[in-house]
Amino acid sequence: MAEPAAPPRTRIVAWLMGDSVADSRQAPARTILLFLAPALLVYAGFTIYPVLRTFYNSVHTIGPHNVQTFVGLDNFVALVTQDRVFWKAVANTTIFTVVGTVADVLGGLLLALCLFAKVPLARAMRVIWFTPVLMSYVIVGIIWVWLYDYDWGLVNLVLGWLGLESLQHSWLGDPATALWAVVVTHLWKWLGFNMIICLAALHALPEEVLGAAELDNCGWFAKLVYIIIPMLRPTLVNLLVLSFIGKMMMFDLVWIMTAGGPLWSTETVSTYVYKRAFNWNTFDLGYPSAIAVLWFFMILLFVTLMTRLLRQRDRVEF
Amino acid sequence: MMKHFMKMQFAVTALLLALGAGPTARADDVTLTVWSHEADEPAKVALREKAARNLEASHPGVHVKITWYEKDGLSAALKTALPAGQGPDVFYLEPDQTDYIASGYIVPLDKLVDWNNIYDWARQVWTHDGKAWGMPQEAYTVELYYNKDTLAKLGVALPANAQFTQSEFLDLVKKARAAGMTPIAQGVGDRPYPGAYVLAESLLRKLGTDDYGKLLNGQLSFEDPRVVAVFTWVKELVDAGAYPKNFMTLKLGESHHYFYQKPGSLMFPMGSFYTGRAFVPVDQGGQAPDFPLGVMQFPAMDGGACNECKTIAVGASFAINAASKHQDLAAEYLNALSTPEIGKQWIETIYLQTAVKTGASEFSGPYAGYFKELMQRQEGAKYFTGMPIDILQGQCKDTFVQVMNAGFPGGLMSVDEAVKTMNQGCFKG
Repeated sequence: MAEPAAPPRTRIVAWLMGDSVADSRQAPARTILLFLAPALLVYAGFTIYPVLRTFYNSVHTIGPHNVQTFVGLDNFVALVTQDRVFWKAVANTTIFTVVGTVADVLGGLLLALCLFAKVPLARAMRVIWFTPVLMSYVIVGIIWVWLYDYDWGLVNLVLGWLGLESLQHSWLGDPATALWAVVVTHLWKWLGFNMIICLAALHALPEEVLGAAELDNCGWFAKLVYIIIPMLRPTLVNLLVLSFIGKMMMFDLVWIMTAGGPLWSTETVSTYVYKRAFNWNTFDLGYPSAIAVLWFFMILLFVTLMTRLLRQRDRVEF
Repeated sequence: MMKHFMKMQFAVTALLLALGAGPTARADDVTLTVWSHEADEPAKVALREKAARNLEASHPGVHVKITWYEKDGLSAALKTALPAGQGPDVFYLEPDQTDYIASGYIVPLDKLVDWNNIYDWARQVWTHDGKAWGMPQEAYTVELYYNKDTLAKLGVALPANAQFTQSEFLDLVKKARAAGMTPIAQGVGDRPYPGAYVLAESLLRKLGTDDYGKLLNGQLSFEDPRVVAVFTWVKELVDAGAYPKNFMTLKLGESHHYFYQKPGSLMFPMGSFYTGRAFVPVDQGGQAPDFPLGVMQFPAMDGGACNECKTIAVGASFAINAASKHQDLAAEYLNALSTPEIGKQWIETIYLQTAVKTGASEFSGPYAGYFKELMQRQEGAKYFTGMPIDILQGQCKDTFVQVMNAGFPGGLMSVDEAVKTMNQGCFKG
């Protein structure tokens, strides 16, 4: 007599559990795969595929109706040897990244030290300094375009009040100052984030070590340089790397504030990729993809170098 | 029993919904999809929606769904949707977007659309290789608006032909600056073309339509003495303080406000689509009802080949997706957009020229006087069709945006630097 068939629900559970389960605490591979599948599919569709497609496009010319012609490294050669705007964008992005990253992390650390030292109104200042982090780049960009406006911007207004009319300037309209004006805006937005991370790390420092330093009559500067900063090193390195990567890909703020102008003085690699892809009256995504791929490898190289240079060889023991 | 009946009803409804058939749907129902720019211009939105409703009324079972965008968003959406074989049946396009033709994403409209209601010159703008690819709706000319009261306060009278000479115009700029006002409100904060209005219109008048066309097509050098002479004169204007100090960051909407509200300026070069922002209530950013608006001609160039020339252009247009399964119906929507009734309503609500033949010679409405003056400025005009930004492509277009639109009128470049940079980007000789 045949055994009655198991109900569907039981069959699904049996399939999920697999044939043999050696460790009852360990879910079988099928189950793990099943539960991971939705997230993996989304990741594959929206991250892996676009990345692979960009690599593919970079060695092709995309013609009408998606007709793709393999061009090998032609796009890369043209980019490196003939494209002056690309190199201008690389220079701008490098300045923006190096200056912005150092200023971001150092500034954040200084603000955190201020709050750690419990200066008056520390709580209020923590909120005020952190608030810009909560704003979108679009809002921040619009606010600062107004602040920098020659005629009615607060920056020139304050200079006027201080009797410094000669310093009034079209901050975003002059190639000499436009990039720096954007750097300052970016710094204003992200300083609070770096401050909070540094402050959390400062509060996590072991009281005994700091107390011992004080017992040894260690001055505040020596304590900062020889004890606090070495112990904050992992946090600072992470902030540096994150800040570095973010700035190498900077798009939104520049697009809102200057769209790369005047005279390409704030053009970043990302804004250039966008312009080449969508503003050049062409459907060919090959060349913009080549820029993106080249820049991807440059970021990878810099981040690897940075991580190696800043890697902690001697672990601080306490 | 009741429970069983409800279960059955639920299952049937779910099945109907899954099949995409609502209770009132019919087998021959068609939804025509349209993607349009100009979401922020209520009068244009109203007209296009009205044309959609008219089509629905005359074609039972047809539904027209218009999705409203701003230009950048629309362009980005189309550039990803079309190569993927997606995209709407009908979409907004402008004549500079010829890449859609070259890429085969739109179909020729010669046999699909009723061209009897469209001006021939406007059809020509969209004609490439003998085929018309877009249905023009909006037409505009490049005009030099001014404040009549301010001009009178400066003690200057507009010449009978409404056109100053080069030296008179330079004097006017200097006089306005000396009186503490901004001579020309203009900004390039969010657009790639307004900064070049004075320069481009001057080049057109100096060179005439043929050579100006050659200049824009890379067949005439920017180092041509006539071109250098125009750049030199515009540099004098710039050095005389013609433009606002915040020229680089002033946005298009703000520059309108700058002209007719605060702080106010004497002149304002702009496409005649000026009305879309100016002729709205003051609390929505429009000009005051009693604002003394005038229209003058751009200055005549010394030894100009065509001082009666001016730029006319087609703006808003619509094209049909080559992948659309409802091309005939899409053409019907384009026909619905170009009836004389819609054309007349366009003029009376948007106060802007149109490519649609309206058949009317008199217009009503609170700004009919303005429209009459605008038409007077067209008398005897010889038109060059197309804005530089519509004609230039690729690197030349980018160089134009950075140099002629921004850097040069912004006072950041010398004449020599400007013409050399333009030549590097544009001249094919």
